[in-house]
Amino acid sequence: MLFFSYFKELVGREVTVELKNDLAIRGTLHSVDQYLNIKLENTRVVDQEKYPHMLSVRNCFIRGSVVRYVQLPPEGVDVELLHDATRREARGG
Amino acid sequence: MVAGLREFTARVERNGVDEPVLDAENGEELMHVQPCVSIVLGNRPPESPGTLYISTKKVVWLSDVDRAKGYAVDFLSISLHAVSRDPEAYTSPCIYTQIETEDDEHESDGSDSECNGVLDLSKITEMRLVPSDPNQLDSLFEVFCECAELNPEPIEEEEEEHNWIFSADQLEDDATGEDSEWHVSENPSIGQSNGDHDLARTVLELQINDQRFEDAEEMEHENDGGRH
Repeated sequence: MLFFSYFKELVGREVTVELKNDLAIRGTLHSVDQYLNIKLENTRVVDQEKYPHMLSVRNCFIRGSVVRYVQLPPEGVDVELLHDATRREARGG
Repeated sequence: MVAGLREFTARVERNGVDEPVLDAENGEELMHVQPCVSIVLGNRPPESPGTLYISTKKVVWLSDVDRAKGYAVDFLSISLHAVSRDPEAYTSPCIYTQIETEDDEHESDGSDSECNGVLDLSKITEMRLVPSDPNQLDSLFEVFCECAELNPEPIEEEEEEHNWIFSADQLEDDATGEDSEWHVSENPSIGQSNGDHDLARTVLELQINDQRFEDAEEMEHENDGGRH
């Protein structure tokens, strides 16, 4: 549940979601659920030449299982908080 | 495991209108019906008129004119869905979906899916659903979201059968019936000496347990490989 809790903190921020099929979509994180399904708003495709048809997409639901990476805004990363959270997770707490 | 898009023609008439046959036994329910929707598969021309059915498990489109025509895709195979309104991307506002296919490595641009004029639905990676009334898009999007969330990845089950030994009887059958990897050596070794049969059996069970662990390790490797 670590990532779920963590991603929830990032709601409203800009993230880039990279899918396993290499498509990368940048947008405002609207919501995330326990399966790490991700809803983005005001999205744009990072590689627009490769995926021109995705230009227009305003809101987008991405299935958690197809996400490869989520690129976070640097200012959204609280290293201390993450340290604590990962330690707790490692202890199974 | 990923099914992709498929043909779907199983209909049942209810109150004078067609509905797709659902897997009610496994709890599948119809969540939303949207009439007057055309469907666009890959780069193909739109097909219409038709009706869109959204169930708790899948998205079904049935032609209104040709009872033998219809498509379905499970939510498990829908990688993403979105509302598309930019006329540059597509002439009509639509629900845009990407479909995960068996062979995602070779990105299909719509042309691979057609071979000698025969459409291979399982290679379709994009599907657009165009309602005649664009005002329905947002509510359709929400229904899609709701149903997608009802379909998390199934927990991977162990597919391999294990021939684990659960009782001494089984052990005896296995030991006598098959050419096992281990054999009783001529020189008595630990556990097989002095006719101490019980001790020997205990050690044999241990060895077989070791094999079991080897299997488990192999399986982990296979699972790792499958994820990419």
